[in-house]
Formats: sequence, structure tokens, C-alpha cells
Amino acid sequence: MMYMMYFLLFGLVLGLAAVASNPSPYFAALGLVVVAGIGCGVLIWHGGSFLSLILFLIYLGGMLVVFAYSAALAAEPYPEGWGSWPVLGLMLGYLLGVVSVGTLFSSSMYDESWMVCDEFGEFYFVRGDMEGVATLYSSGGFMLAMGVWVLLVTLFVVLELTRGMSRGTLRAV
Amino acid sequence: MNPYILTILLFAMGLGTTITFASSHWLLAWMGLEINTLAILPLMCQSHHPRAVEATIKYFLTQATAAAMLLFASITNAWITGQWNLEFMSYSLPTTLVTVALALKIGLAPLHAWMPEVLQGLDLTTGLILSTWQKLAPFCLLLQINPSNTSLLLILGLASTLVGGWGGLNQNQLRKILAYSSIAHLGWMILVLQFFPSLTLLTLLMYFVMTFSLFISFKVNNSTTINSLSMSWSKAPIISSMVPFILLSLGGLPPLSGFMPKWLILQELTKQSLAPLATLAALSALLSLYFYLRISYAMTLTMTPNILLNALPWRLPSNQHTLPLAITTSLTICLLPLTPAIITLLTL
Repeated sequence: MMYMMYFLLFGLVLGLAAVASNPSPYFAALGLVVVAGIGCGVLIWHGGSFLSLILFLIYLGGMLVVFAYSAALAAEPYPEGWGSWPVLGLMLGYLLGVVSVGTLFSSSMYDESWMVCDEFGEFYFVRGDMEGVATLYSSGGFMLAMGVWVLLVTLFVVLELTRGMSRGTLRAV
Repeated sequence: MNPYILTILLFAMGLGTTITFASSHWLLAWMGLEINTLAILPLMCQSHHPRAVEATIKYFLTQATAAAMLLFASITNAWITGQWNLEFMSYSLPTTLVTVALALKIGLAPLHAWMPEVLQGLDLTTGLILSTWQKLAPFCLLLQINPSNTSLLLILGLASTLVGGWGGLNQNQLRKILAYSSIAHLGWMILVLQFFPSLTLLTLLMYFVMTFSLFISFKVNNSTTINSLSMSWSKAPIISSMVPFILLSLGGLPPLSGFMPKWLILQELTKQSLAPLATLAALSALLSLYFYLRISYAMTLTMTPNILLNALPWRLPSNQHTLPLAITTSLTICLLPLTPAIITLLTL
């Protein structure tokens, strides 16, 4: 079943090139959806099912939706996707770069691969992600408080950056 | 800016540096750096001027790239060695990537291009915070990692001193000159990092003192170009008479304090049989000295042809906080005889 992982990673690189090559945020965010979905699949294959679920829900379902709404308010009326030659050329260029660097640095396709290590203390990786989250709430309490404070500071930073209608940092909204 | 927000942001900046100082885990170190980046963003664009916003965006993009590189390197290190400790990085790929990421964070050549443009878009106080406080956390990390490759740090250092010298030569905007001066000083700090880390710390702290006095002198005179500096001698003649000493101290001339780090670094490099490198670095300091001399020439040593009305303004007491300026200017000029004591205090 390494073939399945091969296809997932292939889609990941394709999605990465799509995100990097599109100047319009609509198509770049679409590529990001594909990359995040495939990344969740890779994560499930390595045993982090809980983490993959959280990634899908919060990253795709929360942050990317907010980004899509913000982009819809602020982006251009005539977005350029893969239909126009400069964008397609950039995409093919990125893929060519990845393939050439890959063939330059890999001895063969079947010699080496990165395998997942299973043990860390008393956690086995299959349950590691769930146990990790539980630990954050118990013995990692100080770091949880720090994370909460940093998120609050981030909220203040974003509010300060977007304060004011047209005299603010962002112009239109 | 709302004083509550300002308090929270300044507190977050202190928190970020403190977290990085206190960390031995790479994730915590990264977290401290990100908090620092995040908290300074509203400070940078508080005037909401398009130039300031442009500087904020450039700063954010470069710092985010550097933080992402740092994260990749630490994750690669964790995957190879199985542990996340800062001091035990033994493989060359993660260590090199971390060094390059931190070089981008602080603005070493050849990763320096963002620094003059970002500093140009900020007012002098925020530029001061950027040049001094934001360098503390990355340097703390640089001091703790084992360098993988001897020549990487030497190339970064020498390129920075040369770029800092040559880049500042054709500038008449003071903030860009200060940016190139920062790049040059960072180059000196990195040169000696792997041989005698206490000298890196010494150079960093001396640079903080010297550049603080220069930034605040420019701020008291409210001048950001050499032209406006040349007319500012009548605002505060004491400052005009002290600024050449600050500038020559930055250039590294004895008997001023700025000679201390350069002298000790040259001595250490010679002891490590790197005498040609030491010679090159000393020669590159001459380039920086030229534009420091140009500023002092325009400010103090000549009187620009203009109407004489500016010779007799009212010498009103300044509302700005000049006590820190007085303290740092005195330290910039008079600290050289205390060199042995300072070395002993800063021995890591």
C-alpha cells in the first residue's frame, strides 16, 4: 500500500505548485484546500487520526472559510487561473524544478524512505496525538495558559492592524 | 495608540524574548520568536501611512519565512536525532538551515535586503526597537547552537561587514545608513561567534548602547536626512557636539568604546590563525567609517550655507526623555578603559 502514499504525496506536491503559481487568492485557496485534504490523508496513514480530524475541521472548516470570505471582499474581479499562459507556465516550471531536484538528490526510488518511529516514552504513536492533547490540559497547563495569552495578543494585533475604515492599514474594508 | 493596547504589545514583546531566552526546546524558542514578530507589527504601522504599512508587510513576510525555515530545521533535527534540544544539534543539515534562518531573522548579508527598506519606513523609535530588542532573541539562539560549518559563519560575517560598508556609502537617508551600520555590526558579531562567544555578546551590547544614543540623538533633532541634520546644530548644540563621538565610536576608533569589540575580535581572529580575514574585516570597517564621518561632517564640522535665522532659536527645555540619551552617550564615549571588567562580566 505504499502506492497509496505515493499518490497522496504526488497530489500534495501538485497542490503545493498550484498554491505557489496562482496569483489570484481564489485559486490559491482552492489549491490550499486540496493540499490540506491530502495532508490529512497522509497524517491518517501515519496514525494521527485525531490530529487529522482536528486539522480538517479547524484549518479547512474554520480558517480557510474565513479567508475565503475575506478574499471575496477584497480581491480582484477578473482572477487569473490555470487558463492563462503565464500562470500555467509558472506551474509547469515549479513542477519541473521539483522533479529535477528530486532526481538529482535521490539515488533510487526504492532504496530509502522515511519511516515513522513508533515509541516515545509510554505513548505509542497511534494514540500519541490524542494523549498529547490530553497532556496539554493536565501537566502542560502553563503552556496552555501561555498559548491562550498569545492568541489573545494575536487578536489585539489583528484588531489594531485593521482598525479604522479607510484610514486603517487595509484600505477597502 | 490606545495605551492599553500599547501596554499589551510591549508586554508581549518582552514575553517573546523572555520565552526564547528561557527555552531549551526548539518549539518554545520558535514560539518566542513568533510572539516578538507578531507584537511589533501594530507598533510598526501605527501611523497608518502607506510607507509604514509597506515596511510592516515586508518585515512580516521575511520574519515569517525565517520562522518557517527555523521550524523545518528543528523538525528535521527531531526526525533525525529524536530530540528537540537546542544545544544538541549534531547533524549538519538542520544546523546549517537554522543558521541561515536566524541570519534572515537578524539581517545578515546576503539575507539583508529587507533591512534598509523596512527601517526606512518606520519612525526612529520603532526603528530603534527593531534594531536592538528584536536582535536579542535570535542571538540567544545563535549563541547556543553548535556551528556545523566553520566557513558558513565566516562568510556570513565578512559579507555582512562588506555589504554594510558599501551599501551605506551612497545614502543620505539616516535610517538607511543606520540599517547598513546595523548589518555591518552584525557581521562583526557573527565573525567571532564560533571562537569566543563572549565577544559576540560584548559586541551586541556595545552596539545596543551606541546605536541607542545615535537613534535618540536623531530623534531629539527630529531629523531623518543628512540635509535636515545639517541644520539641526542650533536646536541642541550639546547633542551636535557629542554626535561625532558617537559616530566615531560606531566606526570603531580608539579611544572610544566602539574600539573595544573590534579590537578584541581582531585579536581573537589572529589567535585562530585567521589573520587575512581579520585584515579584510578591519579594512571593511573603513568603508563604514566613511559614511559615519560624512554624517559628522554635515552635522558638526561644517556650517551649511543657509539663512542665519536658525543660528538663534529659543533654547527651550526639551520635552523628550533625554536622560537615557545622556547615559548611553557617556557610555559610548568613555567605556574603553573598563574592557577587562566587561570581558570578565560577560564571560559565558
